[in-house]
Amino acid sequence: MRRTPLPASARWQPLAVLMLVLTATALLLGLGSQAHAHAALVDIQPADGAVVAHAPQGFSLSFSEPTSPLVLKLVRPDGSSTVLDRYTLRDATLDIIAPADLGTGTHVLTWRVISEDGHPVGGSSIFSIGAPSAGGLVAPQEAVDWPLRIAIWAARTLLYAGLFIGVGGVFFTSFVGGGTRPVQRTHAVLMLAGLAAVLLSVGLQGLDALDLPLGSLVAALPWKTGLATSYGLTAEIAAASLVAGLAALAVPRQIGRLLTVLAFIGIGLALSASGHASAAHPQWLTRPAVFLHAVGIAFWAGALLPLGVAFASRTSDATPMLRRFSRLIPVALLPLVAAGLLLAAIQLASPSALWTTAYGRVLLAKLVLLAALFALAALNRFRLTGPAEAGDGVAAGRLARSIRVEIILVLAIFAVAAAWRFTPPPRALAEAAARPAELHIHTEKAMAEVTVKPGHVGPVSVGIVIMTGDFGPLDAKGLTLVVSNPAAGIEPIRRTATKGADAVWRVGKLDLPLPGRWQIRLDILVSDFELVKIEDAIDIRP
Amino acid sequence: MKTIKTLLFAATALALGTAAASAHVTLETQEAPVPSTYKAVFRVGHGCEGKPTIKIRVQIPEGVIAVKPQPKPGWTIEKVKAPYAKSYDYYGTPTSEGVKEIVWSGGSLADDEYDEFVLRAYLTGDLKPDTVLYFPVVQECPDGAAERWIEIPAAGKSADDYETPAPGVKLVPKK
Repeated sequence: MRRTPLPASARWQPLAVLMLVLTATALLLGLGSQAHAHAALVDIQPADGAVVAHAPQGFSLSFSEPTSPLVLKLVRPDGSSTVLDRYTLRDATLDIIAPADLGTGTHVLTWRVISEDGHPVGGSSIFSIGAPSAGGLVAPQEAVDWPLRIAIWAARTLLYAGLFIGVGGVFFTSFVGGGTRPVQRTHAVLMLAGLAAVLLSVGLQGLDALDLPLGSLVAALPWKTGLATSYGLTAEIAAASLVAGLAALAVPRQIGRLLTVLAFIGIGLALSASGHASAAHPQWLTRPAVFLHAVGIAFWAGALLPLGVAFASRTSDATPMLRRFSRLIPVALLPLVAAGLLLAAIQLASPSALWTTAYGRVLLAKLVLLAALFALAALNRFRLTGPAEAGDGVAAGRLARSIRVEIILVLAIFAVAAAWRFTPPPRALAEAAARPAELHIHTEKAMAEVTVKPGHVGPVSVGIVIMTGDFGPLDAKGLTLVVSNPAAGIEPIRRTATKGADAVWRVGKLDLPLPGRWQIRLDILVSDFELVKIEDAIDIRP
Repeated sequence: MKTIKTLLFAATALALGTAAASAHVTLETQEAPVPSTYKAVFRVGHGCEGKPTIKIRVQIPEGVIAVKPQPKPGWTIEKVKAPYAKSYDYYGTPTSEGVKEIVWSGGSLADDEYDEFVLRAYLTGDLKPDTVLYFPVVQECPDGAAERWIEIPAAGKSADDYETPAPGVKLVPKK
């Protein structure tokens, strides 16, 4: 076999290839062990957290060294994201052309770039056009159990009738007059119905609390649960009040009077023990207000039946009774109206809530009925009372009819007010929306209490209390909050926290544009040379 | 032969060049035997997000003694001394205190310039071979800006898993 001499270059070829392979290996090793050139963001336009008047034409990201983009995304206020694929690289600056159809609200510009060494770096920046998105309040949509709801409503209406007309009536008859047999029989029937309603309502309340259907009323659990809720106390006091009112009819007059006073006070106590209005703050104000409102109603409503019957049957004591009622009613009415206005103002929180919320609309319906009731009451007072007291038969007849209409109106008001049971007041809605999201992170090195307020999407402020892993004080030199939403593809957003005089670290300007699970990381600079990172996830409501 | 030399030179330059472009503060010599004297060259490739570096602070880890920084024109050196956690053997002399931190200050290294900060130290036999020894470094810039290369990887993790890892040197047994 003849060997042809290889050209000089070819003779070196295997060696050259070997050298190249070795070099490449060295290069790779070098990269792996030390060349972590993470490009740092030097400048961004619009600035992180900025609010700009008009939609920007473009975005620019300047890094500490040249980079090339992997992912550029814009998350819009509605949560949708747009891939930004029109960009130019100018040295270490990345100029991105913004989509033309940007609306107002909070946007997140999220990027992932790769620097020279092949290390990807990601980050996010938030800016708002016009104003930051407030964050939508989406009320949870639950299926309504109508039979249960109607049962609760009916029981409540009956309870109001039993307390206000029944117990209120017994109180009126024992102090003012008109306690004829048919009147007291009606009072007794109303109080018995109220008693049945209040007992039943405990079980219904339990069903509602446990989210069980009406059929489950045969079990013991809903009853126990109902008693355990704040309504339990209301039911107990109301039942005691009704029993006292019933007993007052069967015992001698002096003891009966004492019982009716106790029963009358019980009305106020029962209603101020639970419910939306009593739960509102400040409670030192709302609870007495509910009490005054309730006893005021009881006095007024309690007077209607005895007065109406007295005028209808033209009994002799009708006129003196009316005179005494007329003298007393301002004393009851003034606190009743004042307390009602105060509670409405607290509950509504803003005037527009009157027509924008279900609670407000119930109040509006109640106000319409009240206007009719007051008109009628004014008519009785200023046009009919005088002639009726003077013995005018026609006026007395009209007064009796008018009072009958008043009773119907009062019952209608009770029915409307009972519907409030299902409408959280705007105040409570606002409180629920403002409820913070909280997170507790506990590791060996450090622990933290993170409070995101409010706990829903939109602009939030974050409060952070840090401690050492064994609950000791942790006097950190610095704290950086890093939030990201990996599921939504939002790269880390960084904010430097500032320490307040109360030792709470705070981040004031942060926008969380999307609901869901956000990753929260705290970079705690314990000392100049020691950094502790702790992280966990937090749920942000829509 | 000349071809190989050129190729080799180019490859070396490329490998070193890439490493030198590193944005992190890193150590030039990545491996050192214990016990031995080690020349630590801290390579600073950039400032703090565009700002110039005006101070470099290096924390000396436990087990590293007889630290001597190399003077640097334009920079003042401060040697912060403190007791060690234990007494170390320095060629037969027990040593229980010494330099725990070196601070270079007074200079200004622009963001687009490169420089090296050098110290020499003795890596005592108490250091375990086949581990990585980390030198946390704080790089300070005007207006309170700082870069802290102080993250020490947890067991099972490498410096690559961190955003601001401390520069490290792999310790190997003495041959």
